[in-house]
Amino acid sequence: MATVDLRGLAVRLIPKSRATRKAWIAAFVITIALLLLPAIVRLDGKPHADWLQFVGRFHPLAVHLPIGLIVLVPVLEIAGAFRPPLREAAGFVLALAVVACIGTLILGYLLAYGSGDTGTTVARHMWGGIALAIGLLLCLLVRPTWSAGDFPRVYPALLACVLFTLLWTAHQGGSLTHGSNYLTQYMPAPLKRWALLGAVNAAVPNADSFYAKRIHPILDANCVGCHGASKTEGGLRLDSYEMLMKGGKDGPVLLPRRADNSLLIQRVTLPAGNQHFMPAEGRPPLKPDQIASIRAWVDQGASPDANTVAGVSIPAEVKELPLQPVGDYTKFMDEIRQMENSQGAKLLPVSSKPSDGLILNTVDVAASFGDPQLAQFEKFAPYIVEADLARTAITDASFETLGRFTHLRALHLESTAVTGNGLARLAALSQLIYLNLSETKVTAANLSSIRSMPHLRHIYLFNSPAQPAPASVAAPDHDSAQSNTRSTQ
Amino acid sequence: MKQHPLCTDCEQNSTVMDLPIPAGLKREWAAIETRRRFLGRSGKVLGWAAMASLFGEAALHGDVHGTTPTSAPKLAPRDQLKLPHFAPKAKRAIYLFMSGGPPQIDLLDYKPNLASLFNKDMPDSVRGNQQLTGMTAGQAHFPIAPSHWPFKQYGQTGTWVSDLLPYTARMVDDLTIVKSVNTDAINHEPAIMLMNTGNMNAGKPCLGSWLAYGLGSMNDNLPTFIVLQTKTNAKENNQPVSSRLWSSGFLSSEYAGVGLRSGGDPVLYLADPSGVDREVRRNMLDAVEQINRQTLEDIGDPETNARIAQYEMAYRMQASVPELVDLSKEPQSTWDLYGPDAKQPGTFAYNCLLARRMAERGVRFTQVYKRGWDVHDNVTGMLPLLCQETDRGCYALVTDLKRRGLLDDTLVIWAGEFGRTVYSQGGLTPENYGRDHHPRCFTTWMTGGGVRPGLTFGETDDYSYNVVKDPVHVRDFNATILHCLGIDHNRFTYKFQGLEQKLTSPVPASVVNGLLA
Repeated sequence: MATVDLRGLAVRLIPKSRATRKAWIAAFVITIALLLLPAIVRLDGKPHADWLQFVGRFHPLAVHLPIGLIVLVPVLEIAGAFRPPLREAAGFVLALAVVACIGTLILGYLLAYGSGDTGTTVARHMWGGIALAIGLLLCLLVRPTWSAGDFPRVYPALLACVLFTLLWTAHQGGSLTHGSNYLTQYMPAPLKRWALLGAVNAAVPNADSFYAKRIHPILDANCVGCHGASKTEGGLRLDSYEMLMKGGKDGPVLLPRRADNSLLIQRVTLPAGNQHFMPAEGRPPLKPDQIASIRAWVDQGASPDANTVAGVSIPAEVKELPLQPVGDYTKFMDEIRQMENSQGAKLLPVSSKPSDGLILNTVDVAASFGDPQLAQFEKFAPYIVEADLARTAITDASFETLGRFTHLRALHLESTAVTGNGLARLAALSQLIYLNLSETKVTAANLSSIRSMPHLRHIYLFNSPAQPAPASVAAPDHDSAQSNTRSTQ
Repeated sequence: MKQHPLCTDCEQNSTVMDLPIPAGLKREWAAIETRRRFLGRSGKVLGWAAMASLFGEAALHGDVHGTTPTSAPKLAPRDQLKLPHFAPKAKRAIYLFMSGGPPQIDLLDYKPNLASLFNKDMPDSVRGNQQLTGMTAGQAHFPIAPSHWPFKQYGQTGTWVSDLLPYTARMVDDLTIVKSVNTDAINHEPAIMLMNTGNMNAGKPCLGSWLAYGLGSMNDNLPTFIVLQTKTNAKENNQPVSSRLWSSGFLSSEYAGVGLRSGGDPVLYLADPSGVDREVRRNMLDAVEQINRQTLEDIGDPETNARIAQYEMAYRMQASVPELVDLSKEPQSTWDLYGPDAKQPGTFAYNCLLARRMAERGVRFTQVYKRGWDVHDNVTGMLPLLCQETDRGCYALVTDLKRRGLLDDTLVIWAGEFGRTVYSQGGLTPENYGRDHHPRCFTTWMTGGGVRPGLTFGETDDYSYNVVKDPVHVRDFNATILHCLGIDHNRFTYKFQGLEQKLTSPVPASVVNGLLA
């Protein structure tokens, strides 16, 4: 095995010509300067002169120029293998990218320094930018030897590193402006589990508390972008209950039972245009009902565990399932009419748009509509989004058929003879939102198989053995109401 | 010439000259009545007639190609209507109509500041130049009458509800309360017409008829649109409610509301008389239909079609209505919920229970009328009665629909035709007062498919007199109801008298998006 002759390598990598040597020295100086920058001009978390911010705020605009140029370099290099003039252009684009990158880096630094940004994401973004600039410089210096045919692997490897660094740095920057959960917020659940590998769910003390259900989501959506672990403006973090109550550099921001004296509430209710208004920098203000919730919660003690706050209702969490369009059934219209005439049950359009699907309506022939009749309609199953089988003669045998009505969103089985045997077949109905089993013999045990269906939000079990608690509809208020009405008779 | 006594033909050639008219006129007539003039005019008339037959038909039907066959008017225009315009949140609606004008100040529009203004005159600036009804226009004073009943906050929404409505109070979190509905009319008949048909004048189809026409039936054996009237209470001031409120106007009369009677048989002569079995009845109806078809061919009146359809509907209702009104299979929980009133046909609670049974059976639109809210005097005497009759029924209906899973796609509406004044009509004492009609604001509520629960929408001023925030005109209210049922009110029209008629009238109206879920 040959030992690496480092000195020989350096000698061959760095050509002897004077001009290139000067370039190497300049690059070295710039590198040192960039590396020392954070030590010399420290990001101390305090805002500085306004002009710094004014200039710095062009960073998000300017940043796209070096990104574009950097991405263009490998494209040109690869294309250059087939069309040599493009490879010549690559060198020029690379040089431009270096200049743009350093310029943008300076703008970014001005922004961070001027506005007093600190936090882990800011730091990561900064170091990413510096690494990127240095990497690009190196690329620029190494490229001539590569095009001369020496060291065919060094430059491509460097370029690959640069691209990776670019990706990572850009992601950090994006997290700063859009918030760290911008990408993952609407990520499909399986992908999210895979991407985050279970490292989710910062411990919230009591998931049913008013804080967890109402206050935390408001802060998370509107404030944590700047007042969180990754970016901590004014030393204030609002991403957990403890941090929220601890406050920032000006002390606590919430005073239990004294909402009007609480800094947080003062800052979010300032008149529009006020310099201290929060959320800052033109982000959308909190909605009146959100402010009312925070105010009520603070006035009632700002407890982390209280489940309710008088006067404020928590809107039920609604995960609307985007409606999946069904195919166009109009080509089967004749067949559908025939079926309707022979079976008596109807397929009514949900709306004039065929993609909204059909409703299987059996009310006219309910008594004679049984399992074989339902099976007849299976051929239209891909177009049926709702099946009204209430009061029909269908039995548990139909669950197997229904399991193939894969587009069903609503299923009415109330007042039928079903007992829930085979209910598990419905688990195949991934879009089912509504299931009515009122006045059937379905038991709680049978329901367990469908409890985990993701979108099945509305299950009705009135007057069935599975009904959670017997509905007591006594009239306690009635008598008191009588006494309250001061009748004049 | 003398006429033969048995001859009925008129042989006497009477002319203009024999008429008892001035001689000058006769001369003038003789001068212009020439052969030339006769031929000239005949030509013109024939020309016009030809032109009318060529173009007139097309122009009348708005069909430029003139291809509409006139001999057989279509029964089911549904496919051409392309309704619903979009996937609806509600498939059916139940309208609890509080005829007479419930006093919003005593029920849901809480005005705590009024207590200190007892018997003080309402500032003129509040009323402005509004013209009042003849009943109070002559009053020298407009003394403020605060509500006689205390209000309390209920539910997670903390909605203020009068002690008169203990049951409604229990469901405020499910309701969408609109405090800013306003109307154009100050008297019952125009206001109730406007509310129901979008027009103060009779002759337009009502909401239920529009829905029956546009959305059609979900149950062939029951009418698409049913009206239930609550028995009147003689102690109350009952304004008449007439069938033109559920008339189909210019739409075919098969879309008119079918009223069930509030006492005795819900539909008269529903049962076959003794000796007439189903087969005889069927044969009779077939024969009648044959005659009607002949009439239709001869005359071409589309109303004949409606008549044929109604005969068939009546035949099917012979089987479906007894089942509908047979409450013997209702579980005990129903009676616990609706209360003892519900066992008595014709009460509001009974009608609410029927409305739920109709919703289950796919009746598209049920309207329950409760009269007696016209409390011009003796508010403290009458209002508790009215609330006792209706409060529990409303609550029971909403709760029952909700527990049976029907509220998801049923829209329930509670409304009157207008509100009532803050000032007292007639004498105001600490014990009693009266309230006059008030069109500028009144309170309604909705719940169920399409509307946002737990919402109070719109605000009135401190006197509950003028709307200060988010006004909802009756037309907007109706447009919103149609929206919940999947209908764009601007696209749902019927050409009549040269106008694209619609429920929201030609005046622009808009859906109140703030009310929608």
